[in-house]
Amino acid sequence: MSRKRSGASDSGVEFPQPLAKRRRSGGRSLGQIDIPDHINALKQNGNITKAESGCHSPDDAKDKSITIASTVKFADQTIAPFLMRHIPEQYAPLGGPISSQRGPSRDPNSKFCYRHRPDLLCRRQADEPSMDQLQRDLDTLSQDDRQGIAHVWSLFSAAPSKHRNLMLQGILAQCCFPQLSYLSASVRDLLKIDFLSALPPEVAFKILCFLDTTSLCKAAQVSRRWRQLADDDVVWHRMCEQHIDRKCTRCGWGLPSMEQKRLRASRRQIQLRAAGRGINDWSPNITPNPEAHQEILSNGTGTEAILSQEESGDTKIQAPPSLTSTNLPSQPSQSDYLRKSRPWKDVYKDRFKVGTNWKYGRCSTKTFRGHTNGVMCLQFSDNILATGSYDATIKIWDMETGMEVRTLRGHLEGVRCLQFDDTKLISGSLDGTLKVWNWRTGECLSTYSGHDGGVIGLHFDGDLLVSGSVDKTIKIWKFRDKSIFTLRGHTDWVNAVKIDAMSRTIFSASDDLTIRLWDLDTNKCLRIFKGHVGQVQQIVPLPRDFEVDNREADTYVDDSGTQSSTDEVSSQEAANRVASAAESPYNDTFHYSTDRIAPPCYILTSALDSTIRLWEVPTGKCVKTFFGHVEGVWALAADALRVVSGAEDRMVKVWDARTGACEKTYTGHAGPVTCVGLSDSCMCSGSEDGEVRMHCFKEGPAL
Amino acid sequence: MIDDLGEAATSEPIPIQNINEAVLRKVIEWCTYHKGDPPATNDDDNDVRKKTTDIDEWDQKFMQVDQEMLFEIILAANYLDIKALLDVGCKTVANMIKGKSPEEIRKTFNIQNDFTPEEEDQIRRENEWAEDR
Repeated sequence: MSRKRSGASDSGVEFPQPLAKRRRSGGRSLGQIDIPDHINALKQNGNITKAESGCHSPDDAKDKSITIASTVKFADQTIAPFLMRHIPEQYAPLGGPISSQRGPSRDPNSKFCYRHRPDLLCRRQADEPSMDQLQRDLDTLSQDDRQGIAHVWSLFSAAPSKHRNLMLQGILAQCCFPQLSYLSASVRDLLKIDFLSALPPEVAFKILCFLDTTSLCKAAQVSRRWRQLADDDVVWHRMCEQHIDRKCTRCGWGLPSMEQKRLRASRRQIQLRAAGRGINDWSPNITPNPEAHQEILSNGTGTEAILSQEESGDTKIQAPPSLTSTNLPSQPSQSDYLRKSRPWKDVYKDRFKVGTNWKYGRCSTKTFRGHTNGVMCLQFSDNILATGSYDATIKIWDMETGMEVRTLRGHLEGVRCLQFDDTKLISGSLDGTLKVWNWRTGECLSTYSGHDGGVIGLHFDGDLLVSGSVDKTIKIWKFRDKSIFTLRGHTDWVNAVKIDAMSRTIFSASDDLTIRLWDLDTNKCLRIFKGHVGQVQQIVPLPRDFEVDNREADTYVDDSGTQSSTDEVSSQEAANRVASAAESPYNDTFHYSTDRIAPPCYILTSALDSTIRLWEVPTGKCVKTFFGHVEGVWALAADALRVVSGAEDRMVKVWDARTGACEKTYTGHAGPVTCVGLSDSCMCSGSEDGEVRMHCFKEGPAL
Repeated sequence: MIDDLGEAATSEPIPIQNINEAVLRKVIEWCTYHKGDPPATNDDDNDVRKKTTDIDEWDQKFMQVDQEMLFEIILAANYLDIKALLDVGCKTVANMIKGKSPEEIRKTFNIQNDFTPEEEDQIRRENEWAEDR
């Protein structure tokens, strides 16, 4: 560069004044001193583009006499026309409406770049400290120098981008290394773009939707704009969809849906906070102001609608407008407004806390004592725990207080199974009967006899009650027409039965080491699952969206011991993988109709061979075996997020059904664990020692 | 399909106003490399669930550009409705955010912290729950 300049000097095209000036002000202002070159050239050519090549043009030779002072003098003639010509074109949009930007006559080169688009809020502003510095430096210069520099700036400022590039090219060509380093450092920072603020919001949301929980919460702390975007319902609704009540396929992290009580507790606060504001307005306010809108609280129907939605674990509630692509059920009701105004980040946060508590085993424990013999079965829901025991009684407990509410007496022998809903409790006993109770009063409503041995498994759903018995049969009781049907096939005690209403099928587990799938339309056995080498105690169908990790890798692990056959169907399933099998794995024996879908794809079973097995129903294959219990596994429960098991070895284990990995082991029972129950934030286990232990993973001292 | 449109369709230039040449070249380079990719599924919801921020090696190299170019590529992909390219661009930005502290994010994108110290402290506490511990 210096060679170039000296070359220019040699050829007599030098500019004496700048050189003189350089001597005066020292090297630091080298770049600034060069400025007159351009002004000089401009004067000659009246065209900035020519200025770039003008250094060597013969015209310049005539201008040896030009000085800073003369530049100032001639500024009117040189700079003004340039500014006149370019400024209106460049900056007209600022004054006029945006539409003028799209005018056909607009020079494409003068379109606003990202940094200077006037409609962008993030448009880069000169930052104070460095502008202060610039002002101070400028103030040290002489009037003439300042004038010259101002001219350069105004010329550059007025120039269309093509011209600007040429100017820069020329300046770069003259720069020495220190100046280039200075440029490089400055440009590195200047070239950074605040993507989230600068991109259209929908693209910003798309970016945020790729983030994990922790990163999203960090992003919310960056700036006001980022907070607004990163806290937005659009983002957190997506997060909720991905994580609540299912395991996210991206991170394998699942969050429990929220329970009724907890929801009630947070509802008031959330409503107060959300009701008065637009969908995304609440978050940027640093301090929530829970004022007014009390009338919302008295709006019973509206709040109940939220509640029931949440209870059912339905996270696909009314979506913000931009989420309409995810086909959400539209539910036009007066509660739409309320549901919309609920911040999803809060919903997510509540559940995330419970999720981490499960993950790290942070829980409170409670023991329920009262039975005088082993506890054989239990169920809990909301705040009610029901237990059945070898002492022939059923006890109802208040989970919050840990107190016994009432005892249901009537069975003559041990109670082996029970199930309750809002209105009734049904129990099965070794005395061979099933009893229907009003558990709120303790009254026995009716007694079903019919089995020739103890009733050790039962399940009811809607109009159907199914029971499994010591007499090796399964009985189907229909409440409506009081009909009874008996399924025969198992060759030993039937320990557990499960109705799948959607496919109108039953699964049964038996001491004969098999699990059977029965068709309720035909009362025929559709499939037999063989593989357990101990008596099968429990069977749990998994949610239909359940997927297994590494299914292929595990499929044939214990193939020798695992096989399945069908009674009426020839086994063709070797070729039938799940995908193809889903069409008709049961050949002609299973008839689909509009109100009937295929049985669940996966079931879990536990057996006294001390294993838990995961079966692929369409193929009848065991795809995973969970090892870890050292004695027989009596009890099993599962939801979309986890599996809980209890065994003769007195341990309760929590598993990940997708991988088959044991996540936690809980000890504490003094006898074999015979039954377990599981909810979003709690698990209970009953033992032959007569106690029930509850582990609660919710926060705080509350239940 | 192009034949159906007749002569005019192939001979008339289509103006693309919002994208400069350098960016368009980049976009075309990406499209050329990915032209053999199997079509994306229409199942949007499922698609979202399966997404990760993993970017294949070629795309990672492709996206090693300055922020200005990355910004323009994202805008272009959005404007031209090239979903897969938009995804790669967004993932690239997401990966620049991931695992960073707020201050590191500000540095990365040269963002001014416009919170007061009190606000900053409160927001930090508001978001503490997300620390996985």
